[in-house]
Amino acid sequence: MKLTEDDIYRRSTQYLHWSFTAAQLAAQRLKTNIQAAERVKAAVARQRAARALKTETPNASGSENASQNGANTPLPPPDREVDCLTMAEEKRLVDNFCEKALELGDFLKLPIEVTATGVQFMRRFYLLNSPMTYEPNQISRTAIFIASKAEGHHLPVAHYAASLPKTKPEDILAPEYLITQALRFHYEVRHPFRGLKGGHLEMMAMAAGKATLPPNIPQDRDPRALQQAMLELPRRPGGPASAMSEKELEKRITEAYGFASHILKNAALLTDAYFLYTPSHIWLSAHLLADEPLTLLYLSTKCPPSNPMHAKLLTTLRSCAALLSSHHSFHPASQTEEEKAARDKKDQVELKALMKKLRLCRDPDKTNLVKLNQAQKRDAVENGELEENKRKKRKIAREQYEKEADDFFGPSLSKKENENAS
Amino acid sequence: MSKPAARGPSNANSKDGEICPVCKSSRYLNKHMKFLINPECYHKMCESCVDRIFSHGPAPCPIAGCKRTLRKVKFREQRFEDLKVEREVDIRRRVAAVFDKTEDDFETLRDYNDYLETVEEITWNLILKIDVEATEKKLRQYEAAQKAERNIQAQTYQPDPSLPSDTAQVVLKKSAAQRRAQGNPTGNTPDPASGAGNGQQTEPGLRFKGLKKYVPPPPEAPFDPFDGWAIEPQYYVTQNDYDVEWLTRAINDPLHIGGGYDMRDFYSWALCDAFSGFGVFVEDGKDVEMADVF
Ligand SMILES: [Zn+2]
Ligand SMILES: [Zn+2]
Repeated sequence: MKLTEDDIYRRSTQYLHWSFTAAQLAAQRLKTNIQAAERVKAAVARQRAARALKTETPNASGSENASQNGANTPLPPPDREVDCLTMAEEKRLVDNFCEKALELGDFLKLPIEVTATGVQFMRRFYLLNSPMTYEPNQISRTAIFIASKAEGHHLPVAHYAASLPKTKPEDILAPEYLITQALRFHYEVRHPFRGLKGGHLEMMAMAAGKATLPPNIPQDRDPRALQQAMLELPRRPGGPASAMSEKELEKRITEAYGFASHILKNAALLTDAYFLYTPSHIWLSAHLLADEPLTLLYLSTKCPPSNPMHAKLLTTLRSCAALLSSHHSFHPASQTEEEKAARDKKDQVELKALMKKLRLCRDPDKTNLVKLNQAQKRDAVENGELEENKRKKRKIAREQYEKEADDFFGPSLSKKENENAS
Repeated sequence: MSKPAARGPSNANSKDGEICPVCKSSRYLNKHMKFLINPECYHKMCESCVDRIFSHGPAPCPIAGCKRTLRKVKFREQRFEDLKVEREVDIRRRVAAVFDKTEDDFETLRDYNDYLETVEEITWNLILKIDVEATEKKLRQYEAAQKAERNIQAQTYQPDPSLPSDTAQVVLKKSAAQRRAQGNPTGNTPDPASGAGNGQQTEPGLRFKGLKKYVPPPPEAPFDPFDGWAIEPQYYVTQNDYDVEWLTRAINDPLHIGGGYDMRDFYSWALCDAFSGFGVFVEDGKDVEMADVF
C-alpha cells in the first residue's frame, strides 16, 4: 500500500477535527457565543436573585449591602440586562490575546514552534469556549505551557510561573485539564514552518540548475532550462523579464524566504489560516505574497497549468494570501508609516473598549479557575479544612474496611511490624 | 578358607561386567574404570582399550569371532543394563527417524494403521535379525526416496524475480546444494553401504496406501517492518544533498554527525511537510475524501 503526502495530512487530527470551511467556522463561533451569553445571563440573574434575597432578610439598607457583596467581583449595576460580547467582538478579543501570547513567547525566548502551538491551542479552545466564560489571560499562559510539553521543549512549571508576573504554579496548572479536554486531547499541530524550509531548499536547488523533478508530472523542462527560466523571472507580476545572475537569484529566493517566514510567524498564527487551509497552502500563500513570479514558476513544476487542479489551487492560495495580508502585522509596501500608525491607534482604542466590555460580562461562576479545579478533585477543601463530620465518617469507613480485610486475609505484615516497633 | 574371602574373586568373575574382556583388568584394581559399547556389535570393553585400539582410526573389534570395523566416535556408555534393550532402542530410533509419518499424513486411520504395521514389521525384522539384508535395503530406499521427494518439492519453488538480488542468490546457492545432495545416491557414492541402492533410485521402494502428497512449507517472505506500507511522494523527489548556506552549520556540526543524524531525514521530512496537504482542499469539506481514505 502506498501513501502520498496528502494521505498523511488527511490522517492528521488537524485535518480530521480542526479544519473547517468558512461557513462551518462561523457557525461554530456563533453557537459558542450564544451558549456562553445565555450562561452568563443566567448566572448573573441567579446571583442577583440571591443578593436580593440577602438584602431583604437582614432588613438593612439595600444599597449598602449590595456594594459590599459586589466588592470582590466587578458586577454590572443591578437591574440592567448584561451586555454580552458579540461573535465578532469575541473573535477580535481572542485574536488580540493570541497576539499577546505571541509576545509572551518572544519575551520568554521560547522556540517559535512552542509559541505557535500554544497560540493554535488557544484558538482551538476559544472555538468551543467563549472569553466571557474563561479569561483569555489565564488560558493563554496554560496553553503555552501545554504547548511546551507537546513540542518536547522542557519547561518546568515552577520556573515558568516564576518568569510570569503574579503567577503561581497552581494558576498555570488549574485550567490545564480544561484546555486539554477542549482540545479533545489532540496535541499535534501541523505548522507550515518546516514546509517552507523544504520549499526553499528545492527552489535553491532549482536556481543552481540541480533540481530533481518529480517523474509523474509531465515536464518538458530539464533542470538547466528551469534555471534559465528562473533567471529571467520578472521582478514583479506582469513586469518585464529580468536577467539576473545566479547570485542575485539566490539572494532573491532567500529574501522571499525571510518575508514568508515573517508572515508565517505572525499573520498565519493570528488569523484563521490554520482552520481554513492546509499547512502546505499556508506556506505557499505566504511565499506568493513574498514573491509572486517565483512562487508561480515553482508551482508550475509541481502542478502544471494543464493539470485540472491548477486553477483550484491558485484560487485557494490567493484567498489564503488575502486572509494573511488582511492582518495588521502584514504591511505591504504601499502602506505608509502614518497610515499604519493611525490604523494601529484605532485598533488600540477599539480593543480598550472591548476589554472594558468583557470585564462587565464575565461569567461569575468561572472567575476562579484554581478553586474550580480543586473543587473537581476528591476531598475538595473548603477553607483549608474538610468538614468535621465528613472526615469522621470517612475515618470510620476506612477502619471498618481495614478490619474486614484483616479478618479475611490476616493483618498486613508491615502493620504488625509497625505495632511492634511502637 | 573363610567363605567371604572365597566369594570375593568368584563374585567378580561371575559378573563379566567387572573385567574387561580385552585387557582383563578389573574394577577391583581400577575404581574409575568405565565400560563402553559400540552400537555396531554391542561388545563391551574398557575405556582405555578403546583409546588404545581405535585412536588411530577404524579398527576391527578385538573380541574373538567378531570382525566388525568400529570407529572411536561411535563408542558410548551403556544406557540399559540389558544390552538387548540397548540394541532395540537404537534400532527403533533409527527406524523412527526414517518412518516419521503421523496420522495427519494419511487419508484414513486405516491407512495409518497399515503403515504402522509395516514399520513395526521392519523394526522387528531388524531386531530379530530376520531377512536383514532385504529389510535394510528397504529402509535405505525409502529414506532416499523421502529425501529426494522433499528436495524436488523444494526445488520447484521459483524465487520472485522482483526480490532483492541478495535473497535470490541465497536461494540459488541452496538449490545448488540440493542438487548435489540429490546427485549423491545416483552418482559415485563414497558410502559403500548404499551400493545396493545404486541404479535403483528410480525404483519406488516402499509405498504406502493413502499417504498424502508431501507439501513443502511455503518459503518465508523477507521481513517487512512496515507490513507493505510505504510513503510514495507525488509532488517531490528528495535529493541526497542541498547546497544552502544556512544548512552548512548543521551539516558540519560534530554533534549532529556523531549522533548519527542523517541530513537526508531532514530533507525528506521538510519536503514531505511542504506538500503534505498540497492537494487537500479544506473548503471542499471532508466527507467525500474521507470515503477513499478509510
Ligand atoms: Zn580393557
Ligand atoms: Zn565385536
